Order: sequence, then structure tokens, then C-alpha cells
Amino acid sequence: MTLLTIEHLNKTYADGTEALRDVSVRAADGEILAILGGSGCGKTTLLRLVAGLDEASGGVISVGGERMTGTHRTISAVFQEPRLLPWLNVEQNIGFGGQHLSAEERSGRTAALLDRVGLAGYGKRWPKDLSGGQQQRVAIARALIGHPGILLLDEPFSALDPFTRGSLHELLLALWQEMKPTVLMVTHDVDEAVFLADRIVVMQPRPGRVHETITMNLPRPRDRISPVFDTVKRRIMHAIDRSLGEHGRIGLRQAAGELSPWW
Amino acid sequence: MGGAARPWLTGLIVPVLLGVAWEAGVRFGLIPGRLMPPPSALWHSAVAMTHAGELQTHVAATLWRVLTGFGIGAATGTVLGTLTGASERARLLLDPTIQGVRAIPSLAWVPLFILWLGIFETSKLALVALGVFFPVYLGVLSSIQDVDRKLVEVGRVFGLTSFGIVRRITMPAIMPVWIAALRSGLGLGFMFVIAAELMGASEGLGFLLLDGQQMGRADSILVAMVTFALLGKLADGMIVGLSRPLLRWQDTVRARL
Repeated sequence: MTLLTIEHLNKTYADGTEALRDVSVRAADGEILAILGGSGCGKTTLLRLVAGLDEASGGVISVGGERMTGTHRTISAVFQEPRLLPWLNVEQNIGFGGQHLSAEERSGRTAALLDRVGLAGYGKRWPKDLSGGQQQRVAIARALIGHPGILLLDEPFSALDPFTRGSLHELLLALWQEMKPTVLMVTHDVDEAVFLADRIVVMQPRPGRVHETITMNLPRPRDRISPVFDTVKRRIMHAIDRSLGEHGRIGLRQAAGELSPWW
Repeated sequence: MGGAARPWLTGLIVPVLLGVAWEAGVRFGLIPGRLMPPPSALWHSAVAMTHAGELQTHVAATLWRVLTGFGIGAATGTVLGTLTGASERARLLLDPTIQGVRAIPSLAWVPLFILWLGIFETSKLALVALGVFFPVYLGVLSSIQDVDRKLVEVGRVFGLTSFGIVRRITMPAIMPVWIAALRSGLGLGFMFVIAAELMGASEGLGFLLLDGQQMGRADSILVAMVTFALLGKLADGMIVGLSRPLLRWQDTVRARL
């Protein structure tokens, strides 16, 4: 149902900048797909096209076999910044994600989600009174209240400290296991991608293209400090290093596969 | 400190001191009481005018003009500001004309309004409405253009229609600026009502000013001025009080004071 297919997607902006060239990506139902790459590789552009916030110059995006134009009820998003509506309290912000729900259903799910994201008792507070991590929890609840088929994540944890980020990764995984949306996640954090994703698409910049797709064979729950986690991370780092070409080298000295960690 | 418990008392210190100094100045013959009647004399005049029913009539007439003119000006300013703010086509079509009209000093309209609308109420309301219109229009127009694109995108992602975005994102987002614009509009409304009443009226605080000048009664002039100050502060306070629950979400220095 919520299979996401992106075929031969192109995006050239009005000023002539070619952001994406012939990008084809498929996310299976309930899969977490991470789009990884440095800045300028078009990953946010790709996400905005899938969200229906921008229009592609060419190519097709389809959801469950249905071709997409504009925004879609089954697609929901968490952005880099929480983007809570400052004039709505926490409860109302979460409810905002469930426009199509009945009032009763909305308030029931809001209460359940508040509890689920660890903010029970915070429902009547204003966004300004929450920490960055708490705001992002509200944003996640808002994105999930409508039980979306596809959840888009645009580097939602990049502005948080490492500890908050880690706990939000766990929260996201738990919620994903309950609801099983297909997740398309954009990130520049290799650790995050390896911890969360089923598959990682490494993009290369100028213009943004798919460089390599890597399947994670790590069972969940994953351990960030296990040697195998490091090995996978290293493999991804090398893929990124290759994707950047001569001028974008990121300082790798050892070949992929050697055991002693360079970090 | 008492100042912390009742902050508004702090605001009374300067006027009370000035009043006492003024009163003393007149009593000791340092200030001519005929031209600058002291607070006690003003109080007596105000009480006498109230007993005669005179002051109430003037206040009612002025208030009616300000509030009606304010209503008309604020409503048109809001509607046109929303239209030009939300639609580029409407902005290209209407804004240059409106800005052009704004460049005419509003008082320059007085002769034309009298010629067109007569010397009675309509021309006065038109002048007040015109004064209120511009700050409200400009405030609404610019604040709509300043609405955070990122929040509009949230509305789009979660399936709001264009109308839904205006109602649930744009309107609450512009609320703080809109209220500030209404306040400055109201201030201008009080300014223009005097101009309107000075140009010919048989009642109203502006008339009281003119009458005081012609009769050589500085006390009526000062009573009218003090009443203006009180009414203006009261009306502004009402806007602030009514809008406070709508702006509680703001994360500003003012909100934390």
C-alpha cells in the first residue's frame, strides 16, 4: 500500500541550478530508508518533492502505485526545526497533524501520543516553554497522529545535543515498530543512518544523484558501540568519500574493511 | 518594594508631582492662574460641567465619532491589507494607488470631505476612518508578507486548503502586528477626531477646545485635554486587555515583563 517509488526524478530550479538528476529510489512498505550525503547533494530537495512542497521538473513519484501531485494525506513530515505553531499549545499542535480525524479521535490519539513521547502533563504548555528536544518530540507526535503511510524526516535531530538525539532515535524506532510507516529520512549523520535505516542511499553532489545504495544487515536493536556497527559505519564513510570525488575527500586513510577504527 | 507590587503606581509619580508643583506655583503667585488654572480649579470646572451634563455630552459625541470611524477604518484597512498581502495580483493592482493616496496628508482631505459629505457627522467619520485606515492597512499587508514560510509549509503538509492556511496560520501569525496596528490606528483616530471637531461642530471635546479658546476659558481647554488623555489611555488599555489572551503564546521580552 505505502510503497514509495521515485523514478527518474529531476529538479532544476528557476535560476538554472540543477539540484537532482535522474534519481530513482524505491522504499518498500514499512521500510526505513535513509538518504545520506553532504550538503548540496539534493537530499532536502528530494524530500520536498516527495512531500509535495515543490514540483519536480521531470520524473514520477508514486505512492502505492498512485502517481502523486502536490501534498498527500498519507504523507507526513518532521522538519529540521520543530516548526510548531507558536499560538497553539502542545496538545493543539499534535492535533494539528490530524486534520482529517474526528474531534473525538483526535483528542484520544493526542492524549495517547503525549504519553507515548514522554510529554504527559505537558499538553497545555506553549511551545516556547519546551526545550528543543521536547519540541521535536511534539513534532514527531504531530507527524504520527494521522497514522501516515509515509513519514518524511528532514534531518530532524541535527540541531539537538548527542544525548537528546540518541533518546529520540530510540523513541522514533519504538513508534515506527508500533505503526510501521514507510520512513524516508534525510540525514548527514552516518551514525544516525546506520542506527536507524534498513537501507542507505548515498547521494553525490552537483547535481544530486544516487551514488550507491547499501543494505543494512544489522539486526535490531542495534548497539552503537559494537565493532560490527563501526565496520558498517566505515563502509558507509568510504562510500561517501568515493561519492564526493577528488575535491571532496573527507580524510579517510585506511581502506574499507580494515578493523582498527580511524575515529 | 511597593513599585514591584503595584507597577502602575510608579507611572503616577510624575503627574502627581507636576500637579502639586503647579498647584503650589499658582497659590504662591508664581504662575498666572487665569491662563494656567491649577488642578484644583480644573477639578471644580470638571465637576461643574458634569453636573450641568455638558461634559458627558461632549465625551459621548467624541467617543461615538472615534469608535465609529475607527470601526470603519480598521475594518477596511484589515480587509484591503489582507487582500493585497495574500494576493500578488491584488497587490500589484491596488497597493500603488493606496500608497499614493497615503502620501497625501490626511488633513488635506478636510475641505473635500466637507464639500462632498457636508459639515455634519459623515465628513467627521470619514476623516477619522481615513486616519485609522493607513496604519492598519500597512500593518496587515506587511505582516502577511512576513509570515514564516516554514509554518505555511506545515499547513500544506498536513493538508490545509488555501483558506485553511489563511485561517489557521496567517491570521494567528499576524495577530500581534495587527493589534499593534489597531493601537496606533486608534491613536490617530483620536488625533483626527479633534481635527474634525475643530473644523466645525456643536459638540464634542474638540468643540470644547475651540469654545474655550474663544471664550478665554483655559480651564475648559485643559479639562478637554485631560479628558482626551484619559479616554485615549482607556481605549488603548481596552485593546491591550482584550488582546492579551490572544497573545499569551508570544515568546517576547514584553510577554515576560
